[in-house]
Amino acid sequence: MIEVSNLHKSFKSVKALDGLSFTAKDGEITGILGPNGAGKTTCLRTLYGLLKADEGFAKIDGITVKEQPLEARARLGIFPDKFGLYERLTAYEQIDYFASIHGLAGQAKKTAIEQIIADLNMEDLAHRKTAGFSQGQRMKVTLAQALVHQPKNFVLDEPTRGLDVMSTRILRNYLSTFKEKGHCIVFSSHVMQEVAALCDRVIIVAKGKVAAQGTPQELCELAGESLLEEAFVKLIGSDEGVAA
Amino acid sequence: MIQFKALLIKELKEAFRDKRALLVAMMLAFMAPLVIFGMSKMAIKEMVSKPPIYVKITGEEHAPKLIKKLADENIFSFASVPAEDQKLWDDRNIELNIPESFAEDMAEGVVINVTLRADFSEQSLNTPLRRVKNAIRDYSREIGYKRLLVRGIDVRLLQVVNLVEQDTSLPSSNFMMISMMLGMYLLMAAFMSGLSVAIDSSAGERERDVLEILLCQPVSTMKIVLAKLTSATIIALLGVVLTLILTSVSMSFVDLSKIGASFSLEPMTVVIIVGMLLPLCLFASAVQLFFSFQAKSFKEAQSSVTMVIMLPVMLPFAMNFMDSKPQWLDFIPVSGQSLIMEDIFKGLPVDWFALMATTVITIVAVAVFVVGLTKKLQSEKVIQSLS
Repeated sequence: MIEVSNLHKSFKSVKALDGLSFTAKDGEITGILGPNGAGKTTCLRTLYGLLKADEGFAKIDGITVKEQPLEARARLGIFPDKFGLYERLTAYEQIDYFASIHGLAGQAKKTAIEQIIADLNMEDLAHRKTAGFSQGQRMKVTLAQALVHQPKNFVLDEPTRGLDVMSTRILRNYLSTFKEKGHCIVFSSHVMQEVAALCDRVIIVAKGKVAAQGTPQELCELAGESLLEEAFVKLIGSDEGVAA
Repeated sequence: MIQFKALLIKELKEAFRDKRALLVAMMLAFMAPLVIFGMSKMAIKEMVSKPPIYVKITGEEHAPKLIKKLADENIFSFASVPAEDQKLWDDRNIELNIPESFAEDMAEGVVINVTLRADFSEQSLNTPLRRVKNAIRDYSREIGYKRLLVRGIDVRLLQVVNLVEQDTSLPSSNFMMISMMLGMYLLMAAFMSGLSVAIDSSAGERERDVLEILLCQPVSTMKIVLAKLTSATIIALLGVVLTLILTSVSMSFVDLSKIGASFSLEPMTVVIIVGMLLPLCLFASAVQLFFSFQAKSFKEAQSSVTMVIMLPVMLPFAMNFMDSKPQWLDFIPVSGQSLIMEDIFKGLPVDWFALMATTVITIVAVAVFVVGLTKKLQSEKVIQSLS
């Protein structure tokens, strides 16, 4: 479970977070929607413990990130918005690297790596160097490295950007199975259809705070619109940044 | 420990798989022995051989014995200069004037004025002029001694004071040039060999978007910094050891006994040198990591770090021109190691206190850079500039 409460964060004169609060429950996919500059990245970075909030706290499975960043991060699987790969390593070696960083060793590590490789159907990629991988293949490696330690919580930052239909479907299917296993998934995105199709709950963030939250259905009803996109524009109060 | 091992193995894998960068890093190790080998070969040739000298002699016919003496010393008349050297010796224009009255004056015991005319300020003429002067002086002294001897005078009376020169340089320190150059190359190897690895694992990773995700992992930033430092240091040390080994091997092909010198690295000396340079390799890598983490791209890091490392590499050069070195130079990184290495190569005993002090100060400097870098990587300013 991920809990964010009353987060405030300013960079000089810019107020990036202004009392942002939400809870992402286990067994649910929570979508974070927001225009550019709404504070999504700042919120996620605070969650990872890279930034320290001026006020408020973020908790992962009850562990306060600010106080115990390493313990909190150990319960997190992260799919970053820009996923770079170590191009001189093979996919297997890269997954192995992240597994070791999460403290896995010996047979347990081997089993975990083989499991995730089988799950993502990437046996043919495993022992190739990642230089020259297609976007979809890169996504798989990044997904595998984020999930090899079977984290209870999973955060994805605009994961479908640059992916083709097939890769997006693989990702979606994987997230659904993960959800059924009772994991907590937080998903930040710009793509409305995806959020509508995938998320159990949607949190709309604007100007550093929650503008509205609920199921996609509830949000549409709240705004009196039939499409989530229209509801989104109405709820954030402007269409600024939506086109981005 | 699992984490550190994984971080280090990954760094080393990446370093060793980047073959081109590794080759460039080790270039110094391959270049140093070649340059030292070539230069010592040339130096030996210069020192051992007496190339012929051609002098424009007038009045040659008046002093056949002097001419023969000169010829014994490989000094000839300009008339016999080979065509390819004619212009050179014509330009050098050394003139020797033997008076008509040479034989007559010799018989009467009058002082004979033989004139040597040349541009004495010209550097390239130093050796030829010295050899001509010595040859004539020897000739003159020989005859003088004979004159005294036939008059029943002990030649030793001429020598009022005998200046005994005692050379304190040890046999192994005769051939200083090689050792000094080797010392310089070793310092350069410590700074250059790990450079590309340090830049690649910092600015390079930042550029490839893998740094932020690494900082999000449940591993302390200090461990990440230490793993990168260890990896770059291993490569730097490899460069140093390779330079030492290859130079020793290549020098075994040069016959230094011709000039009464020897070059051999005792196992103990090698141990001391490598042991002393290990902290320096750490220092070099720490400085390089510190500055290249500030850069946003590989290219930017390359230009800024190259400027930073020029400074320590230039320090030993600068010290050569200092008349009185300040005491603190004995203890700071780079110059401390450089001075101790100079002593070692001169065959002087190692100043253990200076060695310990430099090592401790170097390690403290490394610790400062590591802590500083860790703090920097945790700072929000750096995180914000990641994307």
